[in-house]
Amino acid sequence: MSLADIQITLAPHALVARVTGEVDMSNAEEMGATVIAATPTDAQGVVLDLSGVDYLDSAGIYVIYGMRSSLQARGQTLVLVIPPSSPVHDALRLSGAERPGEMVRTVDDALYAIDRSSTAQT
Amino acid sequence: VAESPSRQVRKPRLGAGQIALEPSSTIDEASEQVRTSYRFSDPALSELPLEQLLDELLVRVQEALAVDTVAILLYDEEANQLVARAAKGIEEEVEQGVRLPIGQGFAGRIAGERVAIFIADVDHADILNPILREKRICSLLGVPLIVEGTLIGVMHVGSLTPRRFGPSDLAVLQLAAARAAPAIERAQLLAALEHEHNVSMVLQRSLLPKRLVDVAGVGVAARYLPAREEVGGDWYDVFELPRGRVGVVIGDVVGHGIAAAALMGRLRTALHSYAIESHGPGRTLELVDRFVQSLSEPAMATAAYAVFDTYTSKISYATAGHLPPIAISGADSRVLEVTPAPPLGAFPYGRCPEHELELASGEMLFLYTDGLVERRGTPLNVGIDALLEAVRDARSPEEACTLALSALVPRDGLRDDVAIVALQNAAVPAELHLRLPAEPKTLAHVRRVLRRWLVARGADEGDVAEVTIAVSEACANAIEHAYSPAPASFELEAFGNNGEITVAVRDEGRWRAPRGTNRGRGLAIMVAAMDDVQIDRTSTGTEVVMRRRLRHT
Repeated sequence: MSLADIQITLAPHALVARVTGEVDMSNAEEMGATVIAATPTDAQGVVLDLSGVDYLDSAGIYVIYGMRSSLQARGQTLVLVIPPSSPVHDALRLSGAERPGEMVRTVDDALYAIDRSSTAQT
Repeated sequence: VAESPSRQVRKPRLGAGQIALEPSSTIDEASEQVRTSYRFSDPALSELPLEQLLDELLVRVQEALAVDTVAILLYDEEANQLVARAAKGIEEEVEQGVRLPIGQGFAGRIAGERVAIFIADVDHADILNPILREKRICSLLGVPLIVEGTLIGVMHVGSLTPRRFGPSDLAVLQLAAARAAPAIERAQLLAALEHEHNVSMVLQRSLLPKRLVDVAGVGVAARYLPAREEVGGDWYDVFELPRGRVGVVIGDVVGHGIAAAALMGRLRTALHSYAIESHGPGRTLELVDRFVQSLSEPAMATAAYAVFDTYTSKISYATAGHLPPIAISGADSRVLEVTPAPPLGAFPYGRCPEHELELASGEMLFLYTDGLVERRGTPLNVGIDALLEAVRDARSPEEACTLALSALVPRDGLRDDVAIVALQNAAVPAELHLRLPAEPKTLAHVRRVLRRWLVARGADEGDVAEVTIAVSEACANAIEHAYSPAPASFELEAFGNNGEITVAVRDEGRWRAPRGTNRGRGLAIMVAAMDDVQIDRTSTGTEVVMRRRLRHT
């Protein structure tokens, strides 16, 4: 059985990638590469929805940082959907890492954040 | 054409050189007739399988008529053709798989007109099969093979020298044909049945799981036994589901043979697909029911499906027209309560209510199909009670399967096929001592094993989540250290004492400096999640020992 699944949809200005399952060193890099490859160049940003992730470790956090860099290089933003007291939230807290991107509670909040940032740019 | 027209019975559409013959009513030598008759009504013939029967008939006809060639062509109804199936003297016919149309040529006319045909001179006759000319056959005599008014083929004999086949020759050939036809038909039917049985068997085998899942915390065993005569549509399946759950299913497609086996394969796939979507067992069965309803051909099946949660040891189950599962728990073993629900595909919008129970450590869920417990003239609950008694004291899934089959399979074989599957909530050891392959996919396995062990030690959700991530990080380090080309492994040990747990991860690889900020982050997680982390790097490997006091204690 595959450890995680990624469901990708396109919103007007953003790509929404919903990850479910577990992310560790066995699949983290694939997850990042899949999302980056699917992102259209004209998208304002990417919503990485991690609210359905049961487990994420340092390999996953590392890949999220990599995604942020790749997107930044293309002028795109990364917004993470990470509800408080979720497994991903706990992993980030334990790692003591700085936030690997803007963190919001829902996909709607994330899309709003991307719209706002694109309006600010124009 | 040299033949006398008086011998022709019906000759409306015969080809050049062909003469239809009327069976002769008299045979000169009575004793010869008896001998010939016996030659073809020998009871031993009916014992033979098709190929041997045809060969034997050829030999006997060749002897009786002293001819150079004998051939049997069988009628292929679908193609409306004659197919050469056995031959003596003209073996090429069979080797080349000669097929001849009905209604034309020598054999085709015999079949189409259902008359005997004699050809005195092949060179001047309407012959389609070039082999007959190539073999330089001069004269031919052929008769149709008919069983109860149905054409099954043609038998013909030939002579390499000009020969005038007379009424007595025809009588012998017709006698042979009359005796041979029913035997051929019977053998053909048996061969077809055997073929269908073999195909169903292969199909059934190929549609059942090759090996059962290996999931931390569960033991499984399963068996499939075909019926004595027919293959049915019984199936079982065990598969891993997200979040530490395992699905186990048993089912029985109504019907037998290839069609039932094929439908079984589709249902097995459908159920697995819906199950992955995280529907519970009741809803999963309901969706499979809708799937069966949507099939173009009417179909029906019964099934029992259970989902075991390895984290909580809870098992939820539902049935659709299927016999109730059994919980194996020594003296507490029992037939589980089910809410009666219609079979899959039986009624629109069938509902499959769920039930739930906790499987204690070592307890088992046992699923079976009716072929195991159903006996003609005996109430069903007698069979189920016998099964319960048989498996009551089983200690492992394998033992449960063995006990069930040895107690309930009759000596003379099964009337219906049987599938059984047993799933056990494996006992959690007091301490973990594991040697694991140093590859990334090991991590998920480690987390499952550790989670069950922690819950058994009394850890709460917070303890479980934090210890799991710390240990998984330590194991990820061990896997990264093992960068030799040979398959490598590492050790994991865990033990608990007075509310404190200790986990050690040991590898034999060389320590690598943390790669970028990533490995540093892994170490940070270990330190933050555990009360104490000791890392001992030596030339022979690295050992990480971590301790944590469980919260609730």
